Amino acid sequence: MKNRFRFFLACAVATAPSALVSGASITLPTETARLIASPLPGYPLATGLCVTCHSVDYIASQPTSSRAYWQAATLKMQKTFGAPIPDTAVAPIVDYLVKTYGAERAVSPAGGATGATTKSAAGK
Amino acid sequence: MTQFPTRDSPTIDRRKFLRATGLLATGAALGTGLPRAWGADERVTLPFENGERKLVAYPQKRPLILLTARPPQLETPFSVFNESVLTPNDAFFVRYHLSDVPTTIDPATFRLKVRGAVGTALELSLTDLKQLGATTEIVAVNQCSGNSRGHFTPRVNGGQLSHGAMGNARWTGVPLRTVLQKAGLNRGARQVTFNGLDRPPIDATPDYVKALHVDHALEEDVMLAWAMNGEDLPMLNGYPLRLVVPGYYGTYWVKQVNDIEVLEHEFNGFWMAPAYRVPDNPTKSVPPGTTPAKTTPIMRFTIRSFITSLVAGATVPVGRETRVRGIAFDSGHGIREVIFSADGGRRWQAAELGRDEGRYSFREWHIGFKPAQRGSHTLMARALNRIGETQPLEPLWNPAGYLRNVVETVAVEAV
Repeated sequence: MKNRFRFFLACAVATAPSALVSGASITLPTETARLIASPLPGYPLATGLCVTCHSVDYIASQPTSSRAYWQAATLKMQKTFGAPIPDTAVAPIVDYLVKTYGAERAVSPAGGATGATTKSAAGK
Repeated sequence: MTQFPTRDSPTIDRRKFLRATGLLATGAALGTGLPRAWGADERVTLPFENGERKLVAYPQKRPLILLTARPPQLETPFSVFNESVLTPNDAFFVRYHLSDVPTTIDPATFRLKVRGAVGTALELSLTDLKQLGATTEIVAVNQCSGNSRGHFTPRVNGGQLSHGAMGNARWTGVPLRTVLQKAGLNRGARQVTFNGLDRPPIDATPDYVKALHVDHALEEDVMLAWAMNGEDLPMLNGYPLRLVVPGYYGTYWVKQVNDIEVLEHEFNGFWMAPAYRVPDNPTKSVPPGTTPAKTTPIMRFTIRSFITSLVAGATVPVGRETRVRGIAFDSGHGIREVIFSADGGRRWQAAELGRDEGRYSFREWHIGFKPAQRGSHTLMARALNRIGETQPLEPLWNPAGYLRNVVETVAVEAV
């Protein structure tokens, strides 16, 4: 309820830009994207760690990507961006990501072709 | 095959086209739409795998294509580029890197610091800046380095954008060099860095800082802007002050810029190296799927053109002339010519250029298209600039998905 109300407020502000002429304060809409639930052990880890710094849509909008990509992305978060991801959490997070969003997922989120048969060199 | 929802639009009439797209907000802005059902889950599908997106209205913005919520990244629906040569502020794309974005700013206490290898360090209020010297105005395109990344083949990771991470605005501000000259650069000054009020979510993450070489920073067109299209910058586009670097990718256009440092050495922070790099060779490309031997910071725009009045799958009447419109731009040399093909690139004809708003602006163009036969016609536009740069007919590839400027095609149906 509270979230809905905040979202409505943000929209109301957006429709009345004149209210903002002198200023300089905005309220961002509520973030809605959530990680896809999974019995994999990486799911609760990703839920607790990835969203510390960014919303889930970064993950969900990638093209079908290899395990190597998700491994590199997770290590980039840990090493380059300094995310507090314990070393022991890396492997399960990568496993969750590639099996839920990447090339090893059983069925694509859209319910289409299986990820394993989708050709993609996105892992670069 | 995923498609824009506009592709089965039964008509090229613009108003009907806007209604048919489901982009109600666009219609509403023109006074033609119904009241919006706020919070309704409107979606678009960008024309590549996994291209489904929500349209969400952020403060001071009409509903835009949501790429990421935190930090905010919003793409402009492509139909906006057919509305006007200047992109409206409420439709202008948004791209932040770090999730602690400023949402409240007091213009009275905002200060711009200028420090480092300067004679006199400065701390300037907005009022100070506006009284420093002559105000300048320039119409310039801002474009994200990764604009159109989603169209790369093979696909590359990163922000999966279609062609809407660009916009054209009239920027008002003061030349950066006026500020730098007031501070007085030391003889050994080599680079100038720019930092804004956006901050990383955790201290360990590299803050977003960009650098320009001193010679570039002193060029007359680089400016500190407080207004776009005659109004204060929207908060999400950098209110109250942003760097404007005409002809250069948006990565340099630091928002909420409040700290300028002059350095006597080369800055090598994360966002200059290894981020935002392109292959260091004449075409700034490598064979698809390969890694460049050497990279260099991304700099100037590649030359591009788009058809804006027709979307793929649109229908046009046989035997009657349809006016095709579009835009072209480059990194500031100026568009000399736009050529148009209605047969997939076999024959080309010069289009008529619209008003010249300056060498950094979108340049509008138009041409008549009269299909003699029913069926599919592959339309293309190709721009040429004043130093002979043009768009490749086959896409160039690089691992970061930057610089796309292949001739784009729009297949329409003559009926």
